[in-house]
Amino acid sequence: MSTSATIRERVKSIETMPSIPTIFLPLLDLLSLPPERVKVDEVVKLVSYDNTIAAQCLRAASSPLFGLAKSPESIKGAVIALGLRKVETILLTCCLGNAFLTKNWPLDPTVFWSHSLGCAMVCRKFSDKLATGDGDKAYMAGLLHDIGFMVNGVAFPNEFAAAALHASQEQIPFHEAERTIMGFTHCESGRALAEQWNLAEDMVRVIAHHHAAEPGDAAQPLIALVHLSDLLCRMRGMGYGYYERNKLDWIADPAWSVLLKKHCNLAEIDLALFSFELDEAVGEVFQLVSTIFGGKLRG
Amino acid sequence: MTSATIAPTAPARFVAPLDPVFRQIRDLVYKVCGIFQLEEKLYLMADACGRRMKQVGVRTPREYWDLLTAHASREAELRQLLNEVTIGETCLFRSQPQLDALRKVILPELVEDENKQIIKRLRIWSAGCSTGEEPYTLAMNMLEESEHLLKGWKVEILATDLNDRSVETAKTGIYGDYALRSTSEYFKRKYFSPAGDNKLEVRAEVKKLITFSRLNLQDDSRMLFMKGMDLIFCCNVLIYFDGPSKSKVIDHYYSNLNFGGYFFLGTSESLLKLNDKFHLVHFPGTIAYWKPSLKSGKL
Repeated sequence: MSTSATIRERVKSIETMPSIPTIFLPLLDLLSLPPERVKVDEVVKLVSYDNTIAAQCLRAASSPLFGLAKSPESIKGAVIALGLRKVETILLTCCLGNAFLTKNWPLDPTVFWSHSLGCAMVCRKFSDKLATGDGDKAYMAGLLHDIGFMVNGVAFPNEFAAAALHASQEQIPFHEAERTIMGFTHCESGRALAEQWNLAEDMVRVIAHHHAAEPGDAAQPLIALVHLSDLLCRMRGMGYGYYERNKLDWIADPAWSVLLKKHCNLAEIDLALFSFELDEAVGEVFQLVSTIFGGKLRG
Repeated sequence: MTSATIAPTAPARFVAPLDPVFRQIRDLVYKVCGIFQLEEKLYLMADACGRRMKQVGVRTPREYWDLLTAHASREAELRQLLNEVTIGETCLFRSQPQLDALRKVILPELVEDENKQIIKRLRIWSAGCSTGEEPYTLAMNMLEESEHLLKGWKVEILATDLNDRSVETAKTGIYGDYALRSTSEYFKRKYFSPAGDNKLEVRAEVKKLITFSRLNLQDDSRMLFMKGMDLIFCCNVLIYFDGPSKSKVIDHYYSNLNFGGYFFLGTSESLLKLNDKFHLVHFPGTIAYWKPSLKSGKL
């Protein structure tokens, strides 16, 4: 049996494997519509099915981070006060975070979620700069790209803990440590979970290939965008909580050429300014994650 | 794993809302000089503007903005403002992310270069070294590697500045508490001796790695002779040059560097888009510009 088949079998056989939160996919569908077509009442109705997520969303919306004079008392109030996009960020993060409330996880969940949320935000900003017109899809791809970590933490806890230790001790990229210690990476296990959750094909491909795009892949530009955003986050203070001896050379990275073929305005972006702007958002992302989850995620 | 290496931004503190004009001034400074002030440090920019406003007798930020953009003396005033913004920034060990990138990523890469392994010589240029804090910091870090990565290597550090008095002060290598505020006890004990008056003097073994001299970066004939550099550090110097002069100096730096060499600016400084031959490269917490190596095929 091939490695990927073994992982798929293992993922299927684990009873504690997280199931996708009931409201996640419908919420995703609803929020992927153009903003003018999203009906706030439908979002509110959907969220009301899950009290935990609704409560977390209200707690986050009331935090000083958003600077509201009065705490919203309902999801609808939060949408009116904060705007749909901010509430969407909070809701989707809560959905995924609640699916993976694992104890004794070798990664600090706050660090992990900060990376995922940071990457989602960078993907959207990057996508907007390239004028792809698909910032929301880029955001989702960024948020989901590392779900394989969650699989590994649940399905292969000991091996994953050893890989995490190896990565931080050797200061190497996490996926390299996984490959050395476990024989596979979060890309393969993430793919197995994404397929089990019936995520869209391009999301599955991002999750499976964000460390190395396959030539000729139709989802290549999205994969390339997530790949560069992921690495940028790891270089700008939103990595996995250890010093990674690595660098991001934009022009030399194969992902750059992939994006350049599709977006000729790429070369016009002031990349230094882009990363300075990202630095401004780092604190905000850490604060948002700690507001949403508080101490709840710490095992 | 432990907490993130690069700490998230400082906890929120109460700050009176700043006049939005200061953001305009921040953007103007970036556009003209490539130096970026993070939102959380915008109050430093506002303080600097406040000091200048007092000196030139301007009452409101809006009037000061007019002075910076419309008045005949705008260039001179912008220079004065930059002096205020960058004042007091010089100290030893000013940028730990730069030093980490140097020792953990760049040196391992340089010492593996086949061509460099033949001559085993590393040449570093601190351009605009002021009173010597930067070259001494680099020299101490290179000495730390002399029994490891750089065993058997010859390290030469060239430190230049336009100002004769600065160069003379730099040669003495004597520093007080303020310049040593970021220097660890380990480095103080190992590389400094007491110099009286609560000051410390850099030891001879550090000094002998460095050659100090006066150099005008706009002196083309002398710039042409500064060849064979592996690393150039030029922090917060180019911000005082106008566009064409800056562009010329950067072109010189490109020629002065060996293939595969790196060029560092100040932490929040960028080349804007004045040279498209350099690759912008991100390391954890810092950026640098890379002269592509011949074998990379990305010249």
